[in-house]
Amino acid sequence: MKSGERSFIWVCTLPALLLAAVFVFYPFAQALLMSFYSWSGISDEKVFIGLDNFRTMLGDEIVWKALKNNLFLLLTVPVLTMGLAVLFSVLLTRKKLKERNFYRTVFFFPNVLALVVISILWSFIYHPTFGIVNSLLNAVGLEQWTHAWLGEQGTVMWALVFPMVWQAVGYYMIIYIAAIEGIPTDLYEVAHLEGASEWQQFRLITLPLIWTVMRVTLILFLINVFNQSFTYVNVMTAGGPDNGSQILMTYMYGQGFANGNFGYAMAIGVLMLGITIALSLLSELLTKRETIQY
Amino acid sequence: MVRKARLPYDVEERHKEGKVGVTMKHPLVKWSSRLGLTVLAVGLAAGCGSKAPEQNGSTGAAAGDGKFTNKQLKVAVFEGGYGKAYWEEVVKKFEADYPGVKVEMTSNPKIMDVVKPQLVAGNPPDVIYAPESEPSGTVRSLISDKAIMDLTDVFESKALDKDVPLKDVITDGLLEYTKPYGDGKIYYAPLYVTTQGMWYNKTLFEQKGWKVPETWDEFLALGETAKKEGRSLYAYQGTSPGYNESILWPAIASVSGMEQIDKITNYEEGSFKNENVRKVLNIFEQISQKGYLMPGTVALNHTQAQTEFLKGKALFITNGNWFEGEMKDAPREEGFQYGFMAPPVFAKGEQKYTMTGFESMYIPKKSKNPDLAKEFIKYMYKEDNVKLNSEKSTGIVAVKNGAEYAKEFVPKSVYDSVKIFDQGVKPLNFQWKVTPKTEVKIQEEVFQPISSVMNKNMTVDQWVERVEKAFGKLRDVLAKSGQ
Repeated sequence: MKSGERSFIWVCTLPALLLAAVFVFYPFAQALLMSFYSWSGISDEKVFIGLDNFRTMLGDEIVWKALKNNLFLLLTVPVLTMGLAVLFSVLLTRKKLKERNFYRTVFFFPNVLALVVISILWSFIYHPTFGIVNSLLNAVGLEQWTHAWLGEQGTVMWALVFPMVWQAVGYYMIIYIAAIEGIPTDLYEVAHLEGASEWQQFRLITLPLIWTVMRVTLILFLINVFNQSFTYVNVMTAGGPDNGSQILMTYMYGQGFANGNFGYAMAIGVLMLGITIALSLLSELLTKRETIQY
Repeated sequence: MVRKARLPYDVEERHKEGKVGVTMKHPLVKWSSRLGLTVLAVGLAAGCGSKAPEQNGSTGAAAGDGKFTNKQLKVAVFEGGYGKAYWEEVVKKFEADYPGVKVEMTSNPKIMDVVKPQLVAGNPPDVIYAPESEPSGTVRSLISDKAIMDLTDVFESKALDKDVPLKDVITDGLLEYTKPYGDGKIYYAPLYVTTQGMWYNKTLFEQKGWKVPETWDEFLALGETAKKEGRSLYAYQGTSPGYNESILWPAIASVSGMEQIDKITNYEEGSFKNENVRKVLNIFEQISQKGYLMPGTVALNHTQAQTEFLKGKALFITNGNWFEGEMKDAPREEGFQYGFMAPPVFAKGEQKYTMTGFESMYIPKKSKNPDLAKEFIKYMYKEDNVKLNSEKSTGIVAVKNGAEYAKEFVPKSVYDSVKIFDQGVKPLNFQWKVTPKTEVKIQEEVFQPISSVMNKNMTVDQWVERVEKAFGKLRDVLAKSGQ
């Protein structure tokens, strides 16, 4: 590489590197450092306490409850979202529906709304007395099925899953539609002539050929679910009832800002960092697989 | 021994009204002071100092004579249910009375989020007014970090408009609760006092000929009566179960005495695992098991629950005396009238209690202009400013006769809520013992389980075990720090 070329590359990457250093690496390092201190977050008095914050974390049941809830969301939301997105995209491309453009717009619409708006909207949908869910159940005579959806431990996590899926499904549907439209139609024609059923066509043609796209979106979405769940939980339940929907982010926020226990909050942050790193390693692993082409 | 403000809980909900504030510093207070508070709140205190001459001019002149070299004052005001109208007026007055002084007043519903970076940068405001329960936790952190200034000299010095020390102007007994560190020094300047208890619809009770329950048996008996009417017995602020403290602590105090409350605030082993405490917790379990809770309560936030109550869905709800002001725009049952009562007792004749609280002003230790800040705080207690305050904020100011000064400006329910202290009810001030930083939020450990009990996911025994476990952790934290 010529030296001119080298310096050109440096000049191009330097701004990004600097920005990342200031806004990403430095806060990370700070957070990691703070997790070894006892600090209220507003004073200049910081006491080094070694691994005490992490020891506390091991004995703190709420952390584990929150982690469990995080994993629940990481498992259910992507599976449901991806599943529905694939289903819708196949229906909208393979079935020549007249209203396909209408559906495309409608399904995508939630994606342009702010998360806070969605959370408030769904809080009303779930409202125990005048929410549409309970009203519908009452209207069709299923009173015994009504719940205080966001107020009961048994329903609250699922009640959080639906708005998250509803918000994201349109976005991924659009991506999959693009991917499916990129598949040469003659493949389907041949399959059709050979007598392959719709399901076989989907399983043997569509799915393998959009798999690359799905892999990438899955990783993006895992990270998204991890980060966005804070907004939903914070607005809709604030972690309640009785920590029933507590997740690591809301708990960290509560410890750091409402409980004046900043060092401990940072220790929880380090745990979250670990999870995020695990997720990106997972992505690394998944994307390494061989791409299928016909 | 360090005593501090209560730990955080449902801050988010409660601060919105801005009227919740700090529950008074608790224990070791002599009865006399508790009684005193009572008397004073109702305005029976002797010697109404209302004849003190107006002397704006004179103090102003004295102050203007170069007493204060630094004439810049930064004031940060929490803009909650009491609004900011009072502060805007009083700042103007202060500047007029102290020529040359420039007050930079910032008010915001999230004022401590504004103040926080200033604190970190070592450039805080000189005076802060914000309830201890504000959601950013900054006020609590200031207190636990001991980053607020000793104000004892302010209260020992002569009041600006009376010939007595300022401490004699303040509500009797209240200053006992402004000494968080057990060193006998005053760190909070109390501004507003509140009362928290149970509410019902007076009109409804009169129409139906129902008696306001004296005992818990009578209370629970109303549950069936309510059911026949298609109503529920009880509602609370669902997602903020901490509001139930205004029932729990008074009920425990009534059946077990203030000694029991003292033991609990000190996290004593077995203080929660106690027959009398269990008896009180059983009330909640019965409300749950017998279906007396307003349907959906667990999922409602404070405004939603309170609106349902006003519409007549439940006979009783717990709240502070900011209730009427807070809900002034909410729809309600026809003829609704706010009725305030102390929580019932187990046996007729037991001492009744009702919770009280106050909100304070603080001077950060790193204030650049503490002298003028102290003068500003003293200025708040001048009689004409107290009246101005009640008029603009509709709050009861923490001075002797405060309720009487406020009477013409505050809703009747607010006045009624302090009047019960005139009828043999004793005020109860509940304050957890301050601990070093810990992950345990004791207020949540005590009150969050109410959601679980109401959802029938938890028994009273499990509730007791959970609180005792949290007490154990806190005792360990205290032992470790050598307290």
